[in-house]
Amino acid sequence: MSVFHDEVEIEDFEFDEETEMYYFPCPCGDRFCISKEDLENGEETATCPSCSLIVRVVYDQDLFLSGEIIAAPSESKLELIQS
Amino acid sequence: METSSSTEFCLHSWGANSYGQLGQGHVDDQPEPRFSDITALQHKAVRTLTGGGGHSVVITANGEVFVCGQNNRGQLGLGHIAADITTLQICPSLTQRVSKVACGWEFTICLTDSGRVLACGSNAFGQLGVGKAVSHSADLLVVESLKDPVVSVAAGLRHSLAVTVSGCVYQWGTGLCSHAKRALSPRPVPPHLSSTVPSLVPGLDQKNVNMVTAGLAHCVCLTEDGDLFLWGSNKHGQLTSTEPFLSSPTLVKRSLLGGEKVVLVCSGWTHIVAQTESRRVYTWGRGDYGQLGRQTCHHAERQMIATQIACGSEHNLAILGGRLLSWGWNEHGMCGDGSQSDVFQPQLVSGVRPLLIGCGAGHSMAVSPVTTDSTQNSATTSETSEQEH
Repeated sequence: MSVFHDEVEIEDFEFDEETEMYYFPCPCGDRFCISKEDLENGEETATCPSCSLIVRVVYDQDLFLSGEIIAAPSESKLELIQS
Repeated sequence: METSSSTEFCLHSWGANSYGQLGQGHVDDQPEPRFSDITALQHKAVRTLTGGGGHSVVITANGEVFVCGQNNRGQLGLGHIAADITTLQICPSLTQRVSKVACGWEFTICLTDSGRVLACGSNAFGQLGVGKAVSHSADLLVVESLKDPVVSVAAGLRHSLAVTVSGCVYQWGTGLCSHAKRALSPRPVPPHLSSTVPSLVPGLDQKNVNMVTAGLAHCVCLTEDGDLFLWGSNKHGQLTSTEPFLSSPTLVKRSLLGGEKVVLVCSGWTHIVAQTESRRVYTWGRGDYGQLGRQTCHHAERQMIATQIACGSEHNLAILGGRLLSWGWNEHGMCGDGSQSDVFQPQLVSGVRPLLIGCGAGHSMAVSPVTTDSTQNSATTSETSEQEH
């Protein structure tokens, strides 16, 4: 893996809601990009499609965790615990 | 520089070309200088060449604006965002003569002969100076709140600067805001770093600023007395300070520049190139791709004697004794030596003897007198170039 060109905070990326991609300018004129899904999975490398440069995305993975949907405990179970 | 308007000239371009910013009618990178198609210029004299993230702008001596390259946010000012443009086209709606231009990431700031500022392209960070009402504009909008005539404009990645005839500096665009927040918290971010309309930059009273330029997240101004003031991000030592961020303009000690006045300054994304009154060139800031033209980093250091300089994001051009030099990042061939290897010492670009130079983020341009093999593609040139990136 090559050396990171830079470290860029997630708040400095532009988010495209249609593609769910985050973008930040690359010095070549193209853009570093990383998907929301990649961030949720803990990926931290944004790549440029036109060149070899990569940047490390600085972000809090906890804020990106979507996780699986967990049903709320039922009332009966709550009663069982209380009893 | 003045040249005879009867002399024929050609435009060369090279480097990154993903959006047709080289004006050669295609979108392939070019590692060596190649002719741009300048049919649209109709042999008019060229005054200024410059480029943004993926676009290029040529200003003629009679104040006409020609554009090519990326147009996704309307940064070409053509009234549409339909497509990128791979050959230079005239900006048709302009009724005023343009004297200077600065290109940011996806936006363009024009300065008219009468000192008005016009802006087009992305306004996602308020970088057009017209407030937040529009997200982008393919038409040139007048920056109405700048009342006094403007003499110099600059465009960073996501912020803009202007100097008025009275020497006041205004800043707009929120490109530095997040950097400021992180550095200054819990103190508030000053208005000039978070405004989407021109906001007076404090701390420059009686300094008589006459020129501004900008980097990725820093600002540069040059005073009438030859002093440089810098503010913004100092991530790579580009402010010659030990602080990570400076919210107010801070003087660069003249002792770092051989005790001399600065006469010209250009900025890459994270490095700065300045020329002193004896025409010596000093570089400082980020240098890991050869941006500084020498091996050691950070501190200002004397390089050479030059007559013109232009900075791309991570590369540079200079004219030295009529010859063209380049150095810095070269992955897309922006140094023009036919290779993709970074250039750590200024080196000669063969085959081009330019009168004017200009850079976009990852591309390079030069106007040269026509030689016998380039008579098919010619224009004329006059005056000196203004360089932004």
